[in-house]
This record gives sequence, structure tokens and C-alpha cells, in this order.
Amino acid sequence: MYIGVLGAWVAVFLTLSILSYLYKDNVFYKLAEHIFVGVSAAHWATIAFWNQVQPNLFGRLWPQAEVAALEGFNKFWYGIYHVLHVLFKKVFPEDVINGTLYRGIGDQPQNLSYLIAFVLGLFMLFRLIPKIGWLSRWALAYVIGMAAGLRLYGYMSSDVIGQIHATMLPLWTGNLGDSINNIILIVGVLTGLFYFFFSVEHKGALKVVSRIGIYFLMVYFGASFGFAVMGRISLLIGRFNDLIEYSGKQYGFATPILLVVMVVVLILAGRKEKQADKAEV
Amino acid sequence: MGKFMNFLEKLDSLDRRIIFLIIGLVVLIPLLIPLGLPIETTNLTEDAFYAVDALPANAKVLLSFEYGPSSKPEIHPIAVSVLRHLFSKGNKVVIMCLWPDGLFMANEALELVAHQEFNLEYGVDYVNLGYRPGNEAVIKGITKSFEANFSVDSRGIPISQIPIMHDVQTARDMDFIFSFSAGYPGAIEWVLYAGDPLQVPVSSGNSSIQVNQLLPYVKSGQMKGVIAGMPGAAEYETLLIQKVEGREGLLINKANALLPDFKEKRDATKFMDAQSIAHLVIVLFIILGNVSYFVKRKKQQKY
Repeated sequence: MYIGVLGAWVAVFLTLSILSYLYKDNVFYKLAEHIFVGVSAAHWATIAFWNQVQPNLFGRLWPQAEVAALEGFNKFWYGIYHVLHVLFKKVFPEDVINGTLYRGIGDQPQNLSYLIAFVLGLFMLFRLIPKIGWLSRWALAYVIGMAAGLRLYGYMSSDVIGQIHATMLPLWTGNLGDSINNIILIVGVLTGLFYFFFSVEHKGALKVVSRIGIYFLMVYFGASFGFAVMGRISLLIGRFNDLIEYSGKQYGFATPILLVVMVVVLILAGRKEKQADKAEV
Repeated sequence: MGKFMNFLEKLDSLDRRIIFLIIGLVVLIPLLIPLGLPIETTNLTEDAFYAVDALPANAKVLLSFEYGPSSKPEIHPIAVSVLRHLFSKGNKVVIMCLWPDGLFMANEALELVAHQEFNLEYGVDYVNLGYRPGNEAVIKGITKSFEANFSVDSRGIPISQIPIMHDVQTARDMDFIFSFSAGYPGAIEWVLYAGDPLQVPVSSGNSSIQVNQLLPYVKSGQMKGVIAGMPGAAEYETLLIQKVEGREGLLINKANALLPDFKEKRDATKFMDAQSIAHLVIVLFIILGNVSYFVKRKKQQKY
């Protein structure tokens, strides 16, 4: 209960602090901005480690296993994990090697080929050491190659071929409205593509084609802007709805109290600023 | 006339804080005093709604949550409405998340719809497989095997022990894929790596800013409609209420009993007054800004 009320007060304070920037740059905004940057960095570092590095790398090198039942190479291998656990308890939790599932980590079968990824990951960190920083290029080369390969097929089949196929439309369908739509679509695609064709100077009739392409692009940008405004207003509505909800008795009138306090502080700070300016003059 | 022209000219140098204040007020006032403006449905939302509506009873639908608290006001009402729609028809729902925050959003939506409203059985009617890192690699992975990517669900239960997953080996075993997406990875990746290769129908509920990027996929038939942000969610809520009220198509008895709840808890619809009025005011500002610009330019040309 108290945690809920405290959470509401924090949420209201941070929301109003960020919105106060619309008036002018001030101490509340600066505070909220710094908290946001710090908390975001910590949140994403934690998420990246526990959701990416741990399950995808360590969880596959040392999946959940009963250490006592291990034999041969795996006994030695899990011994390494045990040493790591002794050195860095929080990063290498004991639960994993005890055969219990910890935060869903270690539910995949063991795969030692991930050692290659581990080494490449270390190479990335070598950028911090100028003498051997060149090794990071190997890791980057792998990432770029893998990403290009993974995405190439998807883009080729769905974006390139799929979209070209979808543009091959009849100019006359028997229905006037559909036919006009098809003509607009085909003209838009062709002129839009031509606008980005720079091997020929855009003059004369070609300039007209290119200009029509620009108009189509402008319509696209206008529509994008409209959707962006719509999205931002939706988010503002979301925040305002929370502020209204937290203005009730059950949340200790968080919104009105904090709003009044912040307005008073901003007015006083503004006056002090003016007095300081006058004194300087 | 002269005074009016002077006013128009001065608009060009209007303090931006006055504009912020006006926008703030036009958003706030309709939230406090709802106007109940009507919601007109569009083809984009109708395509998505009727594609879901056409699924037979017991059809399995994969829902992927790819949004977080920052885009919750836009996408969460879509997720809630789609869940209500699916459960109203007796469809089975498999949930997964490609964003870490998506897990919290999915749990919140399930708590309301699956638990409080429909009182469904976990593992039989629906399952939450949780979050897996890897972006489109996870999508590609489940086109080969669910179990290789999700050996346990979000509660740590092995998926081999979950009844709803017994006849689900890959994403091909799904009848429909629905992505609630606020960016990357999201709806586009579902089309590219699952929908097109497996020929499983895909639809999406998106943040408004993404809609333009998705329209080509809808036009080409690679996606079955798109629910565009908060207005799309309000349209979906309206269509669902019309369906339940009119007892159209497949519907379980529980859905009729829940109709008052559906009407009462329409988050997107209740916000649409503020959205519509704010848009009107923004359009007015754009028109006034342009008029002011041309008045000023005409005056400068005189001298």
C-alpha cells in the first residue's frame, strides 16, 4: 500500500519535472533528466546482462547441472564455473550449477561452440587497449556478416520481391476507384524511385517526373508527421491520465500538492534570478 | 481588418509556451469532462478485426508483446481488446515477448482479461512463454522449434508439460500471429521471418509512428490490417462491443456476460475525446501559422 503511494508520488514528481521544461529549463527538469539517464543506464545494463549475456552465453556454456553427478571433462569445466562463482558471486550464481533454474538461465543444452562467441566478445573489449584494439575488428566483422546474412533473405523475399510483386497491378480493374488507386500507386513508386536515380541530370521532362516523385515523398513525410503527432498526443494523454488518477485521496493528493510546490518554487527561483540580474546590471 | 491582419502577423512570434498551455488544456479538459464523440471505424482496423474474427473456435493464436511502459498508452488497450476478442471466441493464446518489458505488459493484460474477466485456466486456454533475447533470431528459431527456444515458460514450467503446447512444434502450427509492436524487433520482423516464409497470417497493433512503415505490407496482403495506435484501439473496442451486442459470429456465453465490463473498461475510447480535440487544435495552429506566414510575406513584398 505504502509502496504504491510512494510510487505514485515519485511518478507524479518525475512527470511534472519533465513537463516543467516546457516552461523553461529549471532545477526540477535537470534533476529528473539526470535520474532518467542514470536509471536508464543501470536498467539497460542489468537487462542486457541478465537477459542477453547470462542466458545466451554463460547459460549455454554452463547450463543447469548437478555438480556432484558430473564426471570427466565436465567436472573440470564446472570447476571453472565454481571458481568464477567464488570470485564473482552475483554474476555467476550458485543456483545454476546446483541444478536449479535461476531466472530461466541454463535451460538450454550445453554448447561449447559458444566459447567462440565468448572470445569474440572479449575481442570487442580490447578496443579499450590501443595496442591490441585491432582484434575488435574481427568481432565486428562477425557481427556485420551474421546480421547481413540473417537479414538479407528476409528483406529480399518480403521487402524487395514481395513489394515489387504488390506493385504489379492492372491499370484498369473494371472499378474506377480501384483503378485510380492502382494508377496513383504505380506512378508514386516509379516517380519516387526516379527521384533517387542520379545517373541522369533531372531536367526537362525528367525534371517533371522527379518533381512528381518529390510530391509523393512530401505526402509520405506529411503522413508520417501526422502519425508522429498522434502518437505523442496519445502518450501525453497517458501521462495526464496518471496525473488525474494520482490526484485522489488514496494517493495522498500527490498531483495537486506537488504541482503547487513546484509552481511556488519556480516562481521564487524566477524572482531570485531577476534580482541577481538586476544586481549585476 | 487592419487589426485582424496585425493579429495574424503577430501569431508568427507567439510565445511557444502559450501553445503548450493550450495543447495541455485541450488534452486535460476532455479527460475531466468526456464529450462522448462517436468512433468511426477504418478499413485498417476492420481488416485486422475481421481476420481475427474469422478464426475458428480453438484456433491457436501467437501474441508477441514488443512494447514497454513508454508506449503503453497507445498499445496496451490494443492488447487488452485483442485478448478479449480471442477469449470471447474460445481461441487458445500463446504469448511470447521479444522485449524484456513486454513480459510485464503481457502479465498485466493477462491478469485483467484472462484471470479477472474470463477466469481461464493457465496452460490450457493460454500460456505466457516469457521473454527470450535474440530479436529476429528468436522468430527464426521458433519457425524451426518452439522447445529449442522456450524450453520453459515464464513460470519455469517445461513446455512439454503445458497442455496447450502439446501439438505446437513450430510457429507453423499457429493459426494466426499478432504482434503488439512499438519498434524493433516488431511487426516487420514477424512478417519477414515468420509470416511470409511460413504463410501464417500476421497482423499487428502498433504505435502510431510505425504505421506508415507497415502500410506497404498491408497493401500487398503480407499483413492482415494494422491497428494504428490509440485511435485504432478505440476502433477495435467499438467493433468488439458491436460484435458482442449484435451476437455476431462465433461467441462464447461468457462474452455476453462480460459486455458491461467491456463497455466500462474502454481505455482507448475514453481517451479519444482528448485525442480528437487536440488534433483539431493542432490543425488550427498549422492553418493559422501558414496564414500568418503568408500575411507577413505579402507585407514584406510591399516594401
